[in-house]
Amino acid sequence: MKENRLPDMVFAWMLNLNLWVILFMAGIMAASLYGHVHENTALDFLQGVGGMTYVPWKIPAAALLLYGSLLFFLCIRTDHTLLFYMKTGAETGISLLLAGLLQFGYTGMILLILADVVRNMANVKRKFALLGAVCAVYLLADYHLFSGRYGIIPFESYLDYYRGSVRSFLLGAKNVLASLNILVFIIHTALLMREQMSEKERILSLNESLNRVNGELQEANRQLEEYSRESAKNAETRERNRLAREIHDTLGHTLTGIITGLDACITLMDIVPEAVKEQLSVIADVARKGMTDVRRSVKALRPDALEKMELEKALEQMMEETKKASGIEIEYCCSAELNHFNKDEEEIIYRIIQESITNAIRHGKAGRILIAISMEYNILYIWIKDNGIGCTHIEKGFGLHHMEERLGMLYGSLNCFCDNGFVLEASIPIRWGEVV
Amino acid sequence: MDKTGKKNIRYFFAGAGLLLAALALMGSGRRSGTGREDVITVGVFSDSYWEVQNGYSYRILEDAIALFEERREGVRVEYVSGILKEDYPEWLAEQMILGKTPDVFLVFGGNFHDMAEIGALKDLGDFMGQDGSFSTGEFYSSALACGEYAGKQYALPYECAPKLMFVNKTILDAEGIGIPEEDWTWEEFYGICKAVTKDTDGNGTLDQFGSVGYTWSEAFDSNGVELFDQNGTECYLTDERVREAIVFLEKLEGLYGGYHVTDRDFDLGRVAFKPMLFSQYRAYKPYPLSIKKYSGFEWECISMPSGSSGENIGKLDTLLVAMWENTPNETYAWEFMKLLTSEEQIQSEIFTYSEGVSVLRKVTESDETLKRLIDSSGEGSGLRLKALSDAVEHAVAASGFRNYGEAVAEVDKAVNSIMDGNANISMEQIIWNREINNFLKEQRER
Repeated sequence: MKENRLPDMVFAWMLNLNLWVILFMAGIMAASLYGHVHENTALDFLQGVGGMTYVPWKIPAAALLLYGSLLFFLCIRTDHTLLFYMKTGAETGISLLLAGLLQFGYTGMILLILADVVRNMANVKRKFALLGAVCAVYLLADYHLFSGRYGIIPFESYLDYYRGSVRSFLLGAKNVLASLNILVFIIHTALLMREQMSEKERILSLNESLNRVNGELQEANRQLEEYSRESAKNAETRERNRLAREIHDTLGHTLTGIITGLDACITLMDIVPEAVKEQLSVIADVARKGMTDVRRSVKALRPDALEKMELEKALEQMMEETKKASGIEIEYCCSAELNHFNKDEEEIIYRIIQESITNAIRHGKAGRILIAISMEYNILYIWIKDNGIGCTHIEKGFGLHHMEERLGMLYGSLNCFCDNGFVLEASIPIRWGEVV
Repeated sequence: MDKTGKKNIRYFFAGAGLLLAALALMGSGRRSGTGREDVITVGVFSDSYWEVQNGYSYRILEDAIALFEERREGVRVEYVSGILKEDYPEWLAEQMILGKTPDVFLVFGGNFHDMAEIGALKDLGDFMGQDGSFSTGEFYSSALACGEYAGKQYALPYECAPKLMFVNKTILDAEGIGIPEEDWTWEEFYGICKAVTKDTDGNGTLDQFGSVGYTWSEAFDSNGVELFDQNGTECYLTDERVREAIVFLEKLEGLYGGYHVTDRDFDLGRVAFKPMLFSQYRAYKPYPLSIKKYSGFEWECISMPSGSSGENIGKLDTLLVAMWENTPNETYAWEFMKLLTSEEQIQSEIFTYSEGVSVLRKVTESDETLKRLIDSSGEGSGLRLKALSDAVEHAVAASGFRNYGEAVAEVDKAVNSIMDGNANISMEQIIWNREINNFLKEQRER
């Protein structure tokens, strides 16, 4: 809430005004009483008014104390309904005491309470009952209702002490001040209403923009649904591709190994028939392994090695088997901690290396493959180089294509070029601590 | 607790503190002056209520104070001296406004109703009921009734004086008429007046008269007229007894042939009857000044003549004692009031140092009083104490309400107008009654 709002200032004005009215009246009453005593008209006065008065100086003193007390009670801020009622009740009581002290010649301080209630009743229950009660007190706290009872002496009787012209001036001044108080009260209420209305307008405009945003959100939602449908279609396609990739990866790899092994056997058959036997058994192993792989792939479409063991072991085993099966030399060097990656990361690392070895053997006819893995700032680098025939122009086949696709899913990148053989560089950003 | 809560508690205690201070101030706003519990203040005036300088202004009060301070050790009674009777009601009103009202103060009979009306006097009902040593039966009921307002006792009578008829014995002796009996009537009164009204020196103008100062007020009282109801809301001027009284007064006036008899005529010994307060009788009796004043004739007091529908009674004037409504020392104040009004020793001093009559029947009728009266006046032949006592007992207690004086002035105007006019009395009575009722209504609504 803003400080020093206009209604606050007007309320402060009202507080001031009431102080002056009360002091003015109490002063007049005291002065009139002292005047009667001074001019020996006390008896006439008492007989005329038919009631007892307070000791003159105590009227302004008590009025000040009561008004001070009222101010303190007005300062209390609470949202609690019961406390608010009690506070308002206490204020009303004090006001009535004050009005009684001033012989009900002035009841404007009840407007002060009314203004305070209007200002602070936002969170109070049954506020209109409270407002009604305070209004009723204000309406009923009129001198004329009590005149002749409870020994109330009309303020006018005190004024009778003064000369005609002075009397009318004082009475006029009092009435003007009282009216001014009512006016200030009305202004205060009007300002509060205006403020509440602008508040409402603000809420209205907020509501509107909320509606607009809501519409946008619905549109976005619709788009998302569309996207999700598309995505499902994509997933289907991807799954088909994956299946193809699996077949290519596992069966292709195994078959490549077998073909290479069998080629070797054909060559060896005439020279070293014993070695052929040994080679054949290795090939048989590879074939069996491939068979199992295929079964697995069919079942889970996941590499078996990875299924069973950790990435590092799986890689080593895969290379060992390739070496044995194809007889090529694989140099492997890894400076990064390979375990504890996410499953999809592990899988892609495994697949890239597997695919690269396969490519190097199948297309590059390489005899030696160099594999390096390193990690730098959450990015895993895989570097694979073979000493094969290489190429001048890279035609991305199914394997490379898929490699790229897989990497893309992990926001990684793939780069390959020829430099005395085929070089493949892949980088994968690693997501730490994420569970997939 | 949050900041607002702490602040609220501070505001609450500050507000409640100021409220308590204000209440304390307002509660003591009408208290009497000293505020000390062992000092009670008494409001008195210096000269006699009965308009006589007798040199004993504070004598009875001083004796009462001495007696009180002797009984209640450590409690002091104070009073302000030097306030004249004529200034006293104003002085009292000023003390009330200034918050220095005495705890106990004297109240004039004619002032009592206004004082009770403005709430300056304490209702004595509880004190009277709870105090076993206090008995209202000892007072003259008429005197006690003077301290009653709206059915409650707000003051106790201190001294009183009934209205009596003063007789110039010299004239009656000269005319060969005996002193009338105590139960004499208007007929006898009129007969004597008619017999004594004459031109003694033969110069053609009347120079000896029957009565002076016998007004409608005396006639109404003696004929059982009650002018107003208790609250002053209605006037009973249309009463048949009022008509009788007016007819009688017209007849009496007719005797003097338009001559306006004055008090001076009485002083010169040329009038047979004059209604007077007993105090006036006593005041004139013992002093050289009065003796010289009335040296030319012998005189005596008897009861008022009774009207055809009334009794031999007159008005009772009383001086009352009351307690300040907001006195902080009500126990001592009550004790002191009781001492002043119902202590025989103090009450009997009234016959020595004042001119009124004690409000206690026992004191007034005692032998000691007779002795005191004889001592102070030098002769007691004109006094029959039983008769005096009866006159007080049966006297008409001045009724009253707010603005009673103004209402009585209206009645005076009405009666004079009826008597001066030649119209039908009953008709006039109705017209004036309506006018006075309107006046009363206006007064109430003011």
